[in-house]
Amino acid sequence: MRTIWLASYPKSGNTWMRMLIANLSAKDAPVDINNLPERGGIASARPPFDHLLLIDSGLLTHEEIDCLRPRLYETLANGAEDDEHDTAPDQTPVRFVKAHDAYTLTPQGEPLLAGERGADAAIVIVRDPRDVAPSLANHLHRDIDDAIAFLNDRQAVLCAKPDRQHNQLRQHLPGWSGHVASWLDQTDIPVHLVRYEDMQSDTVAVLRGLLNFARHPASEQDISRAVRFADFSELQNQERAWGFREAPQNGRNFFRRGETECWRDELNAEQIARIEAAHAPMMQRLGYELATAVALARAG
Amino acid sequence: MKFYRVSGLSVASEIVLPGMNVSPPQCAPQVTIRPGPVPHSIPHASVAGPTWQIAGKTFLLRIPGIARFLLIDGRENVFSPETEASTADIPIFIVGTVFGILLHQREQVVLHASAVRVNGKAVLFCGASGSWKSTIAAALAQGGYPLVTDDVCSLSVSASGAPTVYPDGRQLKLWAQAINRLDLVQRQGERVRTRLEKFFVEPGAVFSEPLALGAVYVLREARPPHAPGIEKPNVVDTALLLRRNAYRPLLVRRMEQMATYFHAAASIANSAGIYHLTRTLDFTSMPDMISTLERHWQELHLREKAA
Repeated sequence: MRTIWLASYPKSGNTWMRMLIANLSAKDAPVDINNLPERGGIASARPPFDHLLLIDSGLLTHEEIDCLRPRLYETLANGAEDDEHDTAPDQTPVRFVKAHDAYTLTPQGEPLLAGERGADAAIVIVRDPRDVAPSLANHLHRDIDDAIAFLNDRQAVLCAKPDRQHNQLRQHLPGWSGHVASWLDQTDIPVHLVRYEDMQSDTVAVLRGLLNFARHPASEQDISRAVRFADFSELQNQERAWGFREAPQNGRNFFRRGETECWRDELNAEQIARIEAAHAPMMQRLGYELATAVALARAG
Repeated sequence: MKFYRVSGLSVASEIVLPGMNVSPPQCAPQVTIRPGPVPHSIPHASVAGPTWQIAGKTFLLRIPGIARFLLIDGRENVFSPETEASTADIPIFIVGTVFGILLHQREQVVLHASAVRVNGKAVLFCGASGSWKSTIAAALAQGGYPLVTDDVCSLSVSASGAPTVYPDGRQLKLWAQAINRLDLVQRQGERVRTRLEKFFVEPGAVFSEPLALGAVYVLREARPPHAPGIEKPNVVDTALLLRRNAYRPLLVRRMEQMATYFHAAASIANSAGIYHLTRTLDFTSMPDMISTLERHWQELHLREKAA
């Protein structure tokens, strides 16, 4: 079975992508958003570490955990299950695994995600950072200026508070540009780049393209049905009706607007300028047109 | 030599085991712990993972940068530090991770659980690392229910089918946030490891008599579709539920002990009951959760507090 990372900065369409893939196997009705038929979970989940390495991660430092994480991904890529079941889960041709970690090296200099021993390839999903900012603010229950500071911080980390144990392992998010660059510029595994904006404008074509890349068989009928079943309004309806287990614990919705260019009505000029000043080169590389002259000057 | 009682077993150790209760010297201890040479791998391993190997009655665990541990037949634990600096970090791994594996090796039913005493019986809270087992046990201990064990809980199921829990008076291990939010600063002891903000916490009353089992709660976070509360799972699911809450579930399968856990689940379901306890990871909801538990104990006729 092939393993493929679904790698993205948070709030960039990763969950929508997982919903699309999960709905490929749905026949009569959309899959339950709280019970996805998926194998992978998220790379930074803590339980598989303790389960397969037999070591209590709660007694290790973040650096010690990082040194061992490549062993975990090698083991999982070799077919180990990350939990105990009575019957083995259905075999799927590809194991897609969400990852918000940047592509970094451990203190011992090996790829944290185990390079080609951890996965066959990566699908990297990117979204205009000006749209990531308000979505991240909603998710973290912080204001937009804080979210922009996080987006611009090359030392940013998730799940790293020293006085408690987070349910995920620490993740490095070295600024939006640093995160995207870490994945696009690594040479260990092949990458397929997907822009959130293209997922919006032509979901069928994007899904078809990434399934070809992943060598995941699917008929045109499967693809168009999955796109219909994972339509944003369907995901919102399910979240309204039953809640979503991955929603922030602050009572806010996970599936918020799901639109492109929200930043035009959600950010002020100063906020737009801060994001563009920090990320102009990567934004231009990905085809996101800059709105401010300052950013253009810096990028030039 | 230091002597301890750990999960009902007499232990002789050449190093101090932090957070464990010292016992009188034993001439024939059931488990010995000592430093010694430990290989990097063992020949003819039949089962192996990225950090461990099993060959017959020998188990090798490597915690890189800390130590290698050789467990022989559930009786001997030989350890070898990986660096000079790591020696101080070894004992905490012995009392948790390594002793848990040793109990698996002894074919005991060993759960990833913390427990308190309620009206003379042991009530267990099971869950993976970070599921708030210790936090809930600490809050209950503060409310007058003595601590039975933390993190590792050994059970025996007798021929008559009544499960028994072995307390060992070990100290709680809690993160700084939980200590502050539960107002336990007065009882805070040493750091568990110098580099972690996780501390031993004095549990209060300590006792060592085996206890009958009162109830087993499997912890689950309140996320859709699961709302906070107590729920009895389908009887068919209880065997898998218990096995998934073994100290190291992978070893139950790899050591071919699934039948043992299947029988233990049946025995627990008949005598005490296995329940899901769904809770939010929120300190402010702790009093409500304790009230929910106390109401449930009343229904189970476990209610009155231990003296």
